[in-house]
Amino acid sequence: MGYVAIKGGEDAIENASRLTEYERVNSRTKPLEIDQIRTQLGSLVDKIMGEGSLYAPEHAALALKQAQGCPLEGAFILRAYRATLNRSYSSDIVDTRSMRVVRRISSAFREAPGGQILGPTRDYTVRMLNTDLASETKEDFERFISEFDFLDTDVLEEPKPFSKIMDILMEQGMLHGVDEDEDRRVVDITREAVKFPAPRSASLQMLARAETGGLCALAYSSMRGFGSTHPTIGELRVGKVKVVVSDRRGRKRCIGNIKVTESEVISKLKQKSRDPVPYMTLGYGLCFGHNETKAICMGILDRAMRVKDEHPANSQEFVLYHTEGVESYGFTNHLKLPHYVTFQSGLDNLRKAMKRKQDAMKSGEKPLAVPANAEDAVDPAPELL
Amino acid sequence: MRYDTDYVLCECPLDSLKGFVESLESDYPVRVVKDPDVCLTMVRAEDSLEKQEFYLGEVLTTECEVEVNGEAGYGLCVGEEPVRGYCIAVIDALIHQGIEDPRILEFLNEQGDRVQRSEKEEYARTLQTRVDFKLMEEE
Repeated sequence: MGYVAIKGGEDAIENASRLTEYERVNSRTKPLEIDQIRTQLGSLVDKIMGEGSLYAPEHAALALKQAQGCPLEGAFILRAYRATLNRSYSSDIVDTRSMRVVRRISSAFREAPGGQILGPTRDYTVRMLNTDLASETKEDFERFISEFDFLDTDVLEEPKPFSKIMDILMEQGMLHGVDEDEDRRVVDITREAVKFPAPRSASLQMLARAETGGLCALAYSSMRGFGSTHPTIGELRVGKVKVVVSDRRGRKRCIGNIKVTESEVISKLKQKSRDPVPYMTLGYGLCFGHNETKAICMGILDRAMRVKDEHPANSQEFVLYHTEGVESYGFTNHLKLPHYVTFQSGLDNLRKAMKRKQDAMKSGEKPLAVPANAEDAVDPAPELL
Repeated sequence: MRYDTDYVLCECPLDSLKGFVESLESDYPVRVVKDPDVCLTMVRAEDSLEKQEFYLGEVLTTECEVEVNGEAGYGLCVGEEPVRGYCIAVIDALIHQGIEDPRILEFLNEQGDRVQRSEKEEYARTLQTRVDFKLMEEE
């Protein structure tokens, strides 16, 4: 049975759209400015940029406004916008070693070279509802800034890059790669359909644009015991990295900075029979914006997917397909679209089966099994935007 | 020139850059070859240990092409910034054809100092959050 096109409902759709807009504006509150969203809801904007796979803070803020704050819808809108643009440049590999760090911590080494830099974090704050925020004013902002900005501008230091904490382990020969035989091809999952087992480059790209909550759920499952990963954060750093491209003359040009979060998650590698000494290895996380949960979970899952085990977090296909936020959100929401024909077909089959059973019981025969419902069929893997 | 020209032009305040390029336009007629427009730059990254390269995602980018004295200039910057893209293209065309206008050098050094100062301030604020560990018995 094929699909049948139907018409109708245009007015209802138009009115539903207008009703959504009415709900947004009916309270007559002050319209949200994009700059307000970008700056005061920065964590959400960064999350949307990562999941939308597009570094564009203003556009991510606009997408959030359009989506009335729904992160999944916002990421969807941003990714759709991305699909309308030409890709004209490919950058050099970003150098996270020379990152302009604003935060950098290690759970592995207390006295890490360069120190533990807490930077902007809510990690040590009490999670009590701050009722003062309900009545804050612009004057409160100014007062805070004037009290905070008390730098001695005569003795400002030249910014220095922070060395990588994992260098300590590398120098001692304790840190090794996982598998020399691994597929190291560099593929672009937006241009090439993913096939499993996928090269690690595809995994890292998909993790970098995966939905934060999905990554957190699966990484947590691995940490809780459904997997063998109990990680230590070798280093977590947040800051800005330069993006360099080649222009049409072939000259290297810096086009500005982007903020990223990088996580290096250390875990022990299972000893192979030919290796007399156990060693440690890294799971790697890197994402747009300041999103520590995402970077850490990416590192954990990068590591978990390279372990041969039977838990969900160890399955590349399970992790990558089910943390793809735009696809899972789109698929879930497609259930709301009309399935009248397929559902009616299922009902028809059920009625026929019931009738066969009744007829068989009347005639004293053994009833046949009820046929499988067409609704049980799983849609094929969707195309990635 | 003490600084990376492109970096300074991408990071300096837009008003200063716009005003400066407007002041050059009377001396150097500019022909816009390609209006500023947005496109994408794919960002390449690699993991720290095994150097596995991968694609991180794309960055919204503005590109613009101009001609000054028949010489092409290309403006590129992160974000949707048509004015900045145009201004970078104009300065790129002038620098590429070897025009040694002291105003350009002065502007770049002045803005470079400004960007550097802002980064030093950010660094100082960051260092204020460095943890000074003390053992419990030292308290």
